[in-house]
Amino acid sequence: MKTDRILSIIRIAALVLICLTCLVPFYVLLVLALNSPSRIFYEGNIFVPDFFFSNFIEAWHESRIGQAMVNSAIITSGTLALAIVLGGLAGYAIARRKTRFNKFVFGLLLSCMMIPGIINTVPLYTLMRHLHAVNTLYGMILVCSTLALPSAVFIYSTFISSLPMELDEAAVLDGCTGCSVFWRIIFPVMKPATASFVILNGFGIWNNYSQSVFFLQSRSKQNIPQALSVFFQQFGGADWNMMAATATIAIIPVVAVFLVFQKQFINGLASGAVKG
Amino acid sequence: MDVKHKDFVQFLSVPALCLYLVFFVYPLIQGVGMSFTDWDGMGRAAFVGFDNYAAFFSDDRAMNDIRTTIIFAIASATLLNLVGLAYALLMDRRFPLRGLVRVIIYLPAIISPLIMGYIWYFLLQPQRGFLYHALMQLGLPDFVGNWVLSYPKSLAVLVAVNVWQFAGMTMIIYLAGLQSISCDLIDAARIDGAGSTQIFFHIKLPLLVPAIRINVVTNIIGSLSVFDIIMSLTQGGPGYSTESLSIYIMRMCYGNKTGYSTAVAMMLFLIILIPVLVSLRLTQSKD
Repeated sequence: MKTDRILSIIRIAALVLICLTCLVPFYVLLVLALNSPSRIFYEGNIFVPDFFFSNFIEAWHESRIGQAMVNSAIITSGTLALAIVLGGLAGYAIARRKTRFNKFVFGLLLSCMMIPGIINTVPLYTLMRHLHAVNTLYGMILVCSTLALPSAVFIYSTFISSLPMELDEAAVLDGCTGCSVFWRIIFPVMKPATASFVILNGFGIWNNYSQSVFFLQSRSKQNIPQALSVFFQQFGGADWNMMAATATIAIIPVVAVFLVFQKQFINGLASGAVKG
Repeated sequence: MDVKHKDFVQFLSVPALCLYLVFFVYPLIQGVGMSFTDWDGMGRAAFVGFDNYAAFFSDDRAMNDIRTTIIFAIASATLLNLVGLAYALLMDRRFPLRGLVRVIIYLPAIISPLIMGYIWYFLLQPQRGFLYHALMQLGLPDFVGNWVLSYPKSLAVLVAVNVWQFAGMTMIIYLAGLQSISCDLIDAARIDGAGSTQIFFHIKLPLLVPAIRINVVTNIIGSLSVFDIIMSLTQGGPGYSTESLSIYIMRMCYGNKTGYSTAVAMMLFLIILIPVLVSLRLTQSKD
């Protein structure tokens, strides 16, 4: 009994320590963002900030992070929408019509699923230049949805295969045609698959940097990571308080979305993991 | 069934295939061609055979980048799995605030690795970062030290930050695996007199093997194309020592060595193909 008690105390101590290491960097970021630039570096208790809120106002105006947030929102929603529609249609065809062609499409996507985007970025860049799609949001949406497509097709085809075939047959008997079976019967019940696709890919698209560094260089089109890296390079590490305030603003949307949907998010990841 | 409709439905995969062929497969094939030319991104390209590949293998910077990339990937994958599994074992029982703890541990994983790198830069910058000042104020010696000037230390910091950020992700997967193990099995073992350590090594670990395999392979593949965190934390420094192959590809492309950068991309492709083939093999054997 006594060893049990000691073990549970060690367990609690370990968990507290882990939580602290996870939170401290965020706390430090906030302290830096709230320190006045005139504060002599870390005089007094450095764990207590100055509560100097004008850093945030200055950061907002100087960094144009607001524009970057709008761009990131457009890119993320556009990418998710395109990948969901194309992936849903393809997943339906692959799950319900096992033709040689569909098997080929599925095999191609599945075997390319794990190839990271950087491998073909350079030739893709020249292609995008010919299409006049560099430095455009729609260009970035096309690039990102291509990279997310295998995941969408995989999730949808697995999900639709698990639906009973009787669902389609009953709809056909009731007079539905091929496409309306999809839109009226399959599409409405696809929500769980859509949710797990968004959970697995949403943050990655929002945070994308290795594509945006190539395809979104013009200042008005940058997404959040690209805008932040350009802004930070410009300061070269000089004004830490404003840089920290900008980084704080930049992470607020993801943290807010995560905290609101944390239950669905973590359960979605866990169930995806068990099935996968 | 109406044959005509059936025929139409089977082609609903065509739009997805078109997008993928144009924006993924075509550039990939074109990249193979480009890697045999001396193209600078603007003018005419001349065929140079295997010159780029020969240059790659006699390029010290490229060889260093291969080493850095592989060390980073193997170290990250190993530690991510050990730490993630340890976290999952700690979390695998009911206690108050369990949901909150899970959210806190997962929180770093949702932030852009680029921004995470900048945050750690604020913490770890030698002589200037928050940790240095905190340690000074608490009267402790400077544990941070001047890591930015040393290659092994810089690489260790990159691996540590990466593991710190994504341990929550592997934890969630292991936790799901642990919780799918039936309680009856554990209870039966306990009745037979097995201790916690025996239960872990003889029951839980064997049942987690599929999760471990998938986790290790995906972590290795993900880490081999590491880009963001190095860009913000060390910019590849000191010198070019902690530069990864992905960053080298980008820098060569911007340095007007387009042909050469595609050859480097093909080499990275070959390296990544090894764990990809292993993982395809594993999923096939599961079916």
